[in-house]
Amino acid sequence: MNKMGTIISFTFKNKVRTKSFLITTLILILLISIGMNIPYFIKVFQGDDGAKDTQIGVVAEQGNRAAELLLSYAPPATAAADEDEDTDTVAFKAFASADDAALKQGLDDEKIEGYLTFDAKGSEGVPPVTYHSKDGELDKDLKTYLQGALQQINTQLIAGDKLTQEQVAAMFAPVSIGTQQLSTDGKDGAATDESKPVINYVIVYVLLILFFMSITMTGNMIAAEVTSEKSSRIMEILITSASPLTQMFGKVIGIFLVGLMQIAIISASIAINLMLPHNASILTDFDLDLGQLNYGILVYGFILYVLGYFLYALMYAAVGSIVSRTEDLGQALMPVMMCTFVAFYIPLFSISAPDTMLIKVASFVPITSPLSMVLRIGVGEVAFWEIAVSLVILLATTFGLGWLAAKIYRTGVLMYGKRPSIKEIRKAMKAYKI
Amino acid sequence: MEALKLEQVVKQYGDKTAVNGISLKVGPGEIYGLLGANGAGKTTTMRMVLGLIYPDGGKILYNGKPFSDELQHMMGYLPEERGLYPKVKVSDQIIYLARLRGMSAGDAEKSLRFWLERFDVPEYYNKKIEELSKGNQQKMGFIAAVVHKPQILILDEAFSGLDPVNVELLKDTVKELRDQGTSILFSTHRMEHVEELCRNITILDRSNTVVQGDIREIKKGYPREEVALRTVGELSGLDKIPGVSAVQKQERGYLLSISEIGAAQRILQHAMAAGEVEHFEIKEPTLNQIFIRAVGESNE
Repeated sequence: MNKMGTIISFTFKNKVRTKSFLITTLILILLISIGMNIPYFIKVFQGDDGAKDTQIGVVAEQGNRAAELLLSYAPPATAAADEDEDTDTVAFKAFASADDAALKQGLDDEKIEGYLTFDAKGSEGVPPVTYHSKDGELDKDLKTYLQGALQQINTQLIAGDKLTQEQVAAMFAPVSIGTQQLSTDGKDGAATDESKPVINYVIVYVLLILFFMSITMTGNMIAAEVTSEKSSRIMEILITSASPLTQMFGKVIGIFLVGLMQIAIISASIAINLMLPHNASILTDFDLDLGQLNYGILVYGFILYVLGYFLYALMYAAVGSIVSRTEDLGQALMPVMMCTFVAFYIPLFSISAPDTMLIKVASFVPITSPLSMVLRIGVGEVAFWEIAVSLVILLATTFGLGWLAAKIYRTGVLMYGKRPSIKEIRKAMKAYKI
Repeated sequence: MEALKLEQVVKQYGDKTAVNGISLKVGPGEIYGLLGANGAGKTTTMRMVLGLIYPDGGKILYNGKPFSDELQHMMGYLPEERGLYPKVKVSDQIIYLARLRGMSAGDAEKSLRFWLERFDVPEYYNKKIEELSKGNQQKMGFIAAVVHKPQILILDEAFSGLDPVNVELLKDTVKELRDQGTSILFSTHRMEHVEELCRNITILDRSNTVVQGDIREIKKGYPREEVALRTVGELSGLDKIPGVSAVQKQERGYLLSISEIGAAQRILQHAMAAGEVEHFEIKEPTLNQIFIRAVGESNE
């Protein structure tokens, strides 16, 4: 056990001290910080904070019905109600002609964005409208707004007096569609009809991505470490100093701690970014409430992460010990990488449908179960016994694989030259005790 | 009791026999030479002694006992290819290796500093292996092999790639260790090192033991076939002497090959009759010649 500790601390220290680790971690922190502050940056670069008041001139002769309606247009009350004061407002201002001095002055002072003219009156409804501005562009939000307004006015013009203004506005109010989940077993409809809070989806997403990144990064680290020890022949000295089993688990645990530290750093940088004052509203903006978080998922997620990590790390270590040169490593790792991809993409693509048969099966198969189970616990329906069975299968597989990997490791690290065939490995494996 | 004893050890890789029934004994404070052409089975033998691979037949005994994991602490190994982490500091990895072999961190540190002083390179303590020259990397490898004060030391081609000054330094160190009672199994291609260091040797040729024993005894077993002669004046008629098979004129004097030992006396008489003799020597066969003959003969 003492030797194990020595190996763990040696592996950990050497990995953490490498430039590549420092740089990767820094880049990750930087990306997270930039990503989380993008909404803020956008605000800063647009140079405004809060509401934007746009003034649009409306150039029309007296008696133009469409222009009159536009001037008195108010956006539907429903849309404005649940938004805060930051909502942009558009004010229309009437001018008799495009040559009006006040209009020119307003455009020069940039108080007025542009103005609208109406073409000659068409048959019915709102005649075609032209927007004039200095840069000749109509920004998207404004265009949507104008379209909405004109559309409503159009209806009003055509419907005439048959409908009141309120009725027209009601026509344009969005129809709301609610959802309610039916209880399949029929025993407790009330409990199941509350849908999973969004925060759980976010957490599942984050866990999936963290797990995938962590496995691929640390897995490759382990494989590269083993292969390089093998090719530099330091392995011969190591194996004569401590048993291969101790060697392998020492390395796997050491690098596990490296991965854990990286995750801790990433989590800390996310937390710090969330706590920055200008990001205070980021959670509420996205309708997230930490209070709704299913904490079980964090606990199970951690257990599944640890077990899944060991399962994959041992596979990477075993493969790393089979090849003798770092150049051959990528090719040999392909099958393991494939497993990682499958384990990652099945739950990722099923995040909106977490109760399909595919996910159910995947949550019991050891290779895919760590991530698929996280998905089911987080946003799907899962019984406790299912979690327990899945964990037991995973645990048993990890132990079995640990034994197998140690054998392959013991055998593989002493085979040099060409990549050995499976038959050769099997034969040699029988010869060595661990 | 022998520190290390191999009895009829056999190792096979598939159909190929890598080591075919090697037996040898290394006493305490002895340097044992393992010689052989490339691929003769030296490294395989050493790996079996280390417990890296298991013999398919025969026995290996350490102080009379079979291999066990505890033995790993009393063995030191310098592989032919250095076997150090290129990107890790000398101090970090050597202390690490020493700790894996059961030393405390403090003792390992002390021992490492002692050895760096011994090799006159204390400044390497904080260097990375890749920053050192090949020869110096080898010295670090040597330190890694001896830092934990092993009783059995296995050196695979320890002196290859070193300059003469460093070879001397390492040779002196090896002799010191021998005098302190370390048993050393030593392989090399350089016969002069073997003659200087080893008492007993084994010459392997394609997995078989072809010559084995005390170097002096081995040499006695080989006929003396060369005579070196230096005289004041020129000599003629040397090739007419019965038993002389070849005469080589050298810068100073002659080197004669003889087919029977009696010819040596006839050469001396002939030379003395012709003038003053400065030097006369019936040469012992060198280990080099013995090696070439032993390996060459079995190849025919």
